[in-house]
Amino acid sequence: MFKKILIANRGEIALRIVRTCKELGIPTVAVYSEIDRDALHVVFADEAVCIGPALSKESYLKVSSILSAAQITGADAIHPGYGFLAENAEFSDICAESGLTFIGPSGDAIRKMGDKAAAKETMKKVGVPVVPGSDGAVKDVEEAKVVAKEIGYPVMLKASAGGGGKGMRIVFEESEIEKAFQNASTEAGAAFSNPELYVEKYIENPRHIEIQILGDVDGKAYHYGERDCSIQRRHQKLIEESPSPFITDEVRQKMGQAAILGAESVGYRGAGTIEFLVDKYMNFYFIEMNTRIQVEHPVTEMVRNLDLIKQQILIASGKSIADYPKEPRGHAIEFRINAEDPANNFRPSPGKIEYLHFPGGFGIRIDSHIYNDYIIPPTYDSLIAKLIVWGTDRKHAIARAKRAFEEFQIEGVKTTIPFHQKVLEHNLFINGNFDTSFIEKHLK
Amino acid sequence: MDLNLIKQLIKIVEKSEITEFSVHEGDLKLKISKANNQQTMVTYAGMPDMRSAMQFPNPTEVPASSSNLPPKESESSNYYEIKSPIVGTFYRAPAPDADPYIQVGDIVSPGSVLCIVEAMKLMNEIECDVSGKVVKILLENASPVEYNQPIFLIEKS
Repeated sequence: MFKKILIANRGEIALRIVRTCKELGIPTVAVYSEIDRDALHVVFADEAVCIGPALSKESYLKVSSILSAAQITGADAIHPGYGFLAENAEFSDICAESGLTFIGPSGDAIRKMGDKAAAKETMKKVGVPVVPGSDGAVKDVEEAKVVAKEIGYPVMLKASAGGGGKGMRIVFEESEIEKAFQNASTEAGAAFSNPELYVEKYIENPRHIEIQILGDVDGKAYHYGERDCSIQRRHQKLIEESPSPFITDEVRQKMGQAAILGAESVGYRGAGTIEFLVDKYMNFYFIEMNTRIQVEHPVTEMVRNLDLIKQQILIASGKSIADYPKEPRGHAIEFRINAEDPANNFRPSPGKIEYLHFPGGFGIRIDSHIYNDYIIPPTYDSLIAKLIVWGTDRKHAIARAKRAFEEFQIEGVKTTIPFHQKVLEHNLFINGNFDTSFIEKHLK
Repeated sequence: MDLNLIKQLIKIVEKSEITEFSVHEGDLKLKISKANNQQTMVTYAGMPDMRSAMQFPNPTEVPASSSNLPPKESESSNYYEIKSPIVGTFYRAPAPDADPYIQVGDIVSPGSVLCIVEAMKLMNEIECDVSGKVVKILLENASPVEYNQPIFLIEKS
């Protein structure tokens, strides 16, 4: 087992990792930027090293500072959390070269899955359903027309080198495709220095349902069920739950098997998530694989009764998974609480927390790094707490969540708590009748 | 008296103006005292087998170093602090058998090399950015140093 784990992250996930390490009896090293001097993960870790100024580029993203911190504290493993360097293939490689264990997949595995087009090809080869589309980039608009005709409109033109919505156009019929192609191509060229586009079927109002997998040390993969993350705003997840209120058991099984196929095809080790889009006919399509622990991992932990961070550490240290999949129990929903003002277009609201009271009682879990008088810095993302409720079924979980929010007080900054309370009152949410367009359509 | 309580007591004493604190509980007697150079000394009687468990890394320091904590604000306010721009290991000389770059009392100017901070096998020379006299060297040779940790006090001329 590792002598000492350095946590190359901050905020709630850093605290989360420290907690599991303590339970495993593994000493921890926290790294922090100057503005995070009073952060909880710094206080609770056994040792802490200041690695730079507030700017992420100069601290949490600065590989040399993190490696130096590992060197001077004698840490032999690094947990990257999520975001920051968690899916940085070079960082994974450098750790290996420096004799440190990166608690995550190899640089090669990260690279393979990070190339979205290549990942799709890999999945396709082993029979995982993918979103129908062109084989890589199309030469020109004529080729795009041919592909679109084959797969059927509506289609999406997407930038090969891209992401974040740039260089993307939805085309509903052939008459629109020439103009759309030109616009998307120009935008892609400007944003990514690469005007190449590929064509994909546009799945209207999909649900975003992902499968949690663990790749064991012997190469076998196991799945731990799904998380329905369809409640999103501008492609950012806000609420996640398990089981999905939409898919049937049959589809659930098929998705789980597909996820295992996908993970085993790349010899994946450790925790990972396979993301699918599910259309209204319950067809599911692979979109991408995330080679890290995810923000919403507690949802799976509550329903499947395991500690995913612990499994990550075990697998990385060469030991087998401690908890193989069991029957799921009950229903869990996670609400991401951000320091944002929902009444003002979700504008970030950093500042000092004047009064804090977390909800409690049966079935309530809070993953958060905030405390009374804590000052939320303006320099990082706005996630300040995750409320995860567990109930015997979905109805119970919703009732519990409503009750919990009534007890939840955060004063001094604006938060998305009122927004979540609105969602919980909405008929479509209560009936499990929502897709990724829910917020856009019903909760502006 | 459990270890966590003792750790908390030490933190409280360190951060406060208290210079000496003692408490008895049953067979255990705990005394915490602060000497002038800010070292926190803990002595106790009654639980000898806890001695080896008494490792108290200050969370804002790296424990492999000696207990040379940075001086209090009032001491250093007249002096200019040279801080480490990187995380690494502090060395006073360019090589193990060489002379240190500087000694206390030396006159320095902008560009004078004061020490090395080694990070990932790379030796980084740390240069002075003011003119003055070296008044204090805050770290022991070969001790770990974190970002912006003060290493030298310079009396500016």
